[in-house]
Amino acid sequence: MANLRNNRRGRRKIVKTTLIYLSTIIAVIFFIFPIYWLVATSLKTRAQAFSTPPLFVWEPTFRNFIDIFLKRQTEIEAITGQELELATGAEIFFYNSFVVTFSSIAIATVIGVLAAYSFSRYKPAGTSTLMFFILSTRMLPAIVVAIPIYFFYRSLGLYNTYIGLILLYTMFNLPFAVWMMKSFFDEVPRDIEQAALVDGSNPVKVFYKIALPQVLVGLGATIGFLIINVWNEFLFALLLTERATRTVPVMIAGTRGEVGINWGLIAAIETLYILPALVLIFLLQRFLLRGMTFGTVRGVK
Amino acid sequence: MTRVEIRGLKKSFGPVQALRGINLEVESGALVALLGPTGAGKTTLLKCIAGVEEPDAGDILFDGQSVLGTPAWRRDVAMFFQTYALYPHMSVYDNIAYPLRERKWSRQEIDRSVKNVAEKLRIAHLLDRKDPSTLSGGEMQRVALARTLVRNPRIFLLDEPISNLDAKLREEMRTEFKRLHKELKQTIIYATPDFLEAFAIAEKVAVIKDGVILQYDTPINLLRRPKNRFVATFIGSPTINIMRGVVRRMAYGWEFSTSSLRIQLSDVGHYSKLLDGSEVELAVRPRDIVLEGPKNRNTFKAKVVAAERLGYETIVTLSLGDVELKAVTKGMRSYKYGDEVIINIPGDRVILFDVSSGEAMY
Repeated sequence: MANLRNNRRGRRKIVKTTLIYLSTIIAVIFFIFPIYWLVATSLKTRAQAFSTPPLFVWEPTFRNFIDIFLKRQTEIEAITGQELELATGAEIFFYNSFVVTFSSIAIATVIGVLAAYSFSRYKPAGTSTLMFFILSTRMLPAIVVAIPIYFFYRSLGLYNTYIGLILLYTMFNLPFAVWMMKSFFDEVPRDIEQAALVDGSNPVKVFYKIALPQVLVGLGATIGFLIINVWNEFLFALLLTERATRTVPVMIAGTRGEVGINWGLIAAIETLYILPALVLIFLLQRFLLRGMTFGTVRGVK
Repeated sequence: MTRVEIRGLKKSFGPVQALRGINLEVESGALVALLGPTGAGKTTLLKCIAGVEEPDAGDILFDGQSVLGTPAWRRDVAMFFQTYALYPHMSVYDNIAYPLRERKWSRQEIDRSVKNVAEKLRIAHLLDRKDPSTLSGGEMQRVALARTLVRNPRIFLLDEPISNLDAKLREEMRTEFKRLHKELKQTIIYATPDFLEAFAIAEKVAVIKDGVILQYDTPINLLRRPKNRFVATFIGSPTINIMRGVVRRMAYGWEFSTSSLRIQLSDVGHYSKLLDGSEVELAVRPRDIVLEGPKNRNTFKAKVVAAERLGYETIVTLSLGDVELKAVTKGMRSYKYGDEVIINIPGDRVILFDVSSGEAMY
């Protein structure tokens, strides 16, 4: 009897495990497939890309990847709708994306970490009001402020400048940086910092020798989030840039071929464009998970 | 060697008053214990002295000079934190060396001091450990202690430094502290919730509760002449017996009576506050009650309710009519429930407390 029951239980366990694995595999396929399709398309000729039924076996071509950098790009001017031919390959847009992302992340992280530490440790008068105010700047849908910012940038001469985009993205990211980092700093026991004060460190040293090393994981998660925010931003990049400062997402939207839309080329650009993000997420996945599970969902203490 | 003086110290955290006017004087080179239950304000007081918490009112003086304007990192105080507060990202060695590095000691001096203190606390074998969170509780405590003791500050503040060690190591560490204090001849303020620890270590003990120092005295005075009911009950194990009754002036002196017993109080000349016929509480320590002694005026018959045999002594719970008392007697005595015993309550060893205020009526 007992043996039978054990057998039944064993069989039930096998079924359960199989179901779990099966659903996991389906979920993974569901998420991976678009990326597979993207990469596959980038390795196809125009004819192959449009073949029905879709090709799953073909001789890959790297033409598209070569074209990205060698062929002059044409694009539609956002406001006027004119078709323009650019004097360069796509590398300029990748360069722009890197510059804008790196600079705005660097600024937002430094300011955000310092602000978060102050809010967490020194609790200046009105901390919760200030924290809410900071967050409230992210409550409006971006499109609502798009037009005012466009005119604002035009009149200030920030339109079509790196500085303009960097400032804007810094402002976008600061609330995230402050909120996430504050919750990580809140986790650091006060006693550890107080011990360092008694041991002879002034508050500045306590910050970078004691507090900061405790939140490195949180810092990694925060930076990861911010980078993805900026790297993928489309709306303001479209509104506030022209050719000289255009970032990749906008450039992709404007890419055309000689005859209709060249999906292979677009897929190739996109493949290159998601690569840094993929690598980053892969490197930061441990941090990102931690950030998602307890970083952001906590209130102002 | 620094004399510490604390005057009218107050500190609140929001609505919670952690310290409500602390006055304390610690002689230069003395070892003083702060004794009180959890939440009494011991830690807050130590943190104020260390300078990591800022008091709302009052003053703290080292050798007669106020240190309130001196930030913690220049106060030259070493503190052991109850939570250990080890730096999680540093090795054991770096943890202990931290205060010396911050003071720009030379590499050789640091190395010598760290190894010296590690030897003393028997953690030399742990110095290379990279991650202090992998240590056991007792090891962490000793590493934190080493970090505190590695330098020679004006004052040591120790916040329950041995409370989480097992009983045996605790006993060893108590002796260790006494020896250390003799060697260092430093001013030490030592917080603990354990009266035995306080008595074993300190020359003077400050009993603190709800942010107020109730009594600052020698161990023997705390035991024999507690200022109020809290001090009397907090100190001593088993807890002091307290019964409620009425005092009357008789021809031979004062007498305390409940419905079931009358105790003649001898040596009550110092009970200056007694009023004839007033209700009071009488307290007597379990160890002062004599079982099966010679008969005298304060001999009573009692029934055994329970007996705990602890080896060298036996704690007996007795009932006398409507009161229940605990008494301690030497040796392993086998009492059974319902046994009748004769007890003496020494009239010169009792303490009387005012019923409403709980103050002793000396």
